[in-house]
Amino acid sequence: MKLTFKAILIAACLLPALHGSAALAAEAGTALKNDTLRKEPYADAKTAGNFIRGEKVEILKKQGAWLQVKTKKTTGWVRLLSVKRGTSTAGNQTAGILAAASGRAGTGQVVSTTGVRGLSEQELKAAKFNESEIKTMESYTQSADDGRSFANAGKLKPIAFANLKAAKGTAQ
Amino acid sequence: MKTSTNSDMHSTIMTPKKLLISALLASVFGLSSMPSFAFDLKGVLKEAAEKEFGQSPEAPATDATQPQTTTSGSTASEPSATVKASEPEFNWKNPSKEEEITLGREIAGNLLGAAPLVKDAALQKYVNSVGRWVASQSERPELPWRFAVIESEDINAFAAPGGYIMLTKGLYRKLTNEAQLAGVLGHEIGHVVKKHQLKVLQKQQLLNMGAGFLSSKYAKDNKLVSKAIGTGAEISARSLDKSAEYEADRLGLSYAARAGYEPYGLTEVLQAIGQTNKTDGSVALLFKTHPHPDERLVALGDAIGNKLDNIKSGKTLENRFYQLKN
Repeated sequence: MKLTFKAILIAACLLPALHGSAALAAEAGTALKNDTLRKEPYADAKTAGNFIRGEKVEILKKQGAWLQVKTKKTTGWVRLLSVKRGTSTAGNQTAGILAAASGRAGTGQVVSTTGVRGLSEQELKAAKFNESEIKTMESYTQSADDGRSFANAGKLKPIAFANLKAAKGTAQ
Repeated sequence: MKTSTNSDMHSTIMTPKKLLISALLASVFGLSSMPSFAFDLKGVLKEAAEKEFGQSPEAPATDATQPQTTTSGSTASEPSATVKASEPEFNWKNPSKEEEITLGREIAGNLLGAAPLVKDAALQKYVNSVGRWVASQSERPELPWRFAVIESEDINAFAAPGGYIMLTKGLYRKLTNEAQLAGVLGHEIGHVVKKHQLKVLQKQQLLNMGAGFLSSKYAKDNKLVSKAIGTGAEISARSLDKSAEYEADRLGLSYAARAGYEPYGLTEVLQAIGQTNKTDGSVALLFKTHPHPDERLVALGDAIGNKLDNIKSGKTLENRFYQLKN
């Protein structure tokens, strides 16, 4: 009996681990735009509700280019780029500060490298053309054939894909 | 290049260094993908502009005032003569590929003067391999594309005309796989393909030459650079910069996708940068002068729509992603 219990417990623990690639452990997110939530991760799936820009959500799962999110009212799927990870939004200073205070937003790198800003205004002003550095940079140049070999080594297969165009109705 | 009298121009001469830096900033700040924040663009411009123009840098380049300030002691009283004196002629109206590369080399070489290469040949070769493969998917595969990681903890990337592309070590640190690197390099490649930086320099230069701002003294210092310069004021035209950023985002993602990479690499980097501590002073400038990463994500999302729904074979290649030694 005890054993069974343990087995169940282990199974229960393993279950989320098996789906680990999809689970995001309820990460916080913010809606980047007004969007419709779907019941399934497909564009033509039934509507499950909607969210508005700036609304806080809980990211439950990722599947391909879709995220399953939980809002105050409902749960549904939206496209990956409709949600920003983290809780701060553009123009929301307070959220940024809170995120920083909680340690969520920072990567720690900013702090660790303070004082080692490589490209300060002064350094830019003092910048002088460096022939030996540019020559060294040029010495690393790879040919198109080199690039192809490198791609083959990584099993990268070029695909047909037309350049993205600006979405209609946007001020771009 | 013919000169013409243009009383609408600032009659201004800057020191070669300052002029070059202005030109550099035009390409770097206005158009780079991961702008950094340690550069105080506004500060630099303002200082330069106030010194040179005695007025606000936001003043349009067509302002009719003509301050007489010079920092060099030279004057531009003989415009047609000075331009003719600065041979060889650089065809600013329609630069050749070679001229574009020469110009980019000047800009890149100066940036390297401020931030040298990371001394890690394997890293540099790796970045060149990824970049070259992505560039081969662009509309200008014939350029001699060159890439480099430079010694700076800022988060930034730079593109100079002719295919000179640099990213900072600080930005490289933010990356976790090759698809992300491909997306970032793809964005910069997009700037070069669309000649965004070159166009800014051309516009500025044609304006300057029209007014005869160049002096033979500078031409002696460096014939090309002396012509590849801007007054800085032009840079405050922000609307062009934003559209160029969005365009480069779309191209960068497209090139990386065509190269066989997981297409969302660039958006992951934008997500990461969007989470950078906004309270740090070094980040504030980015959000002030560039489209916020959030806006770039939205714009990309709108452009993508359902176009990536059937692309499932893209690779991230985190296993061979080159790890920095320090």
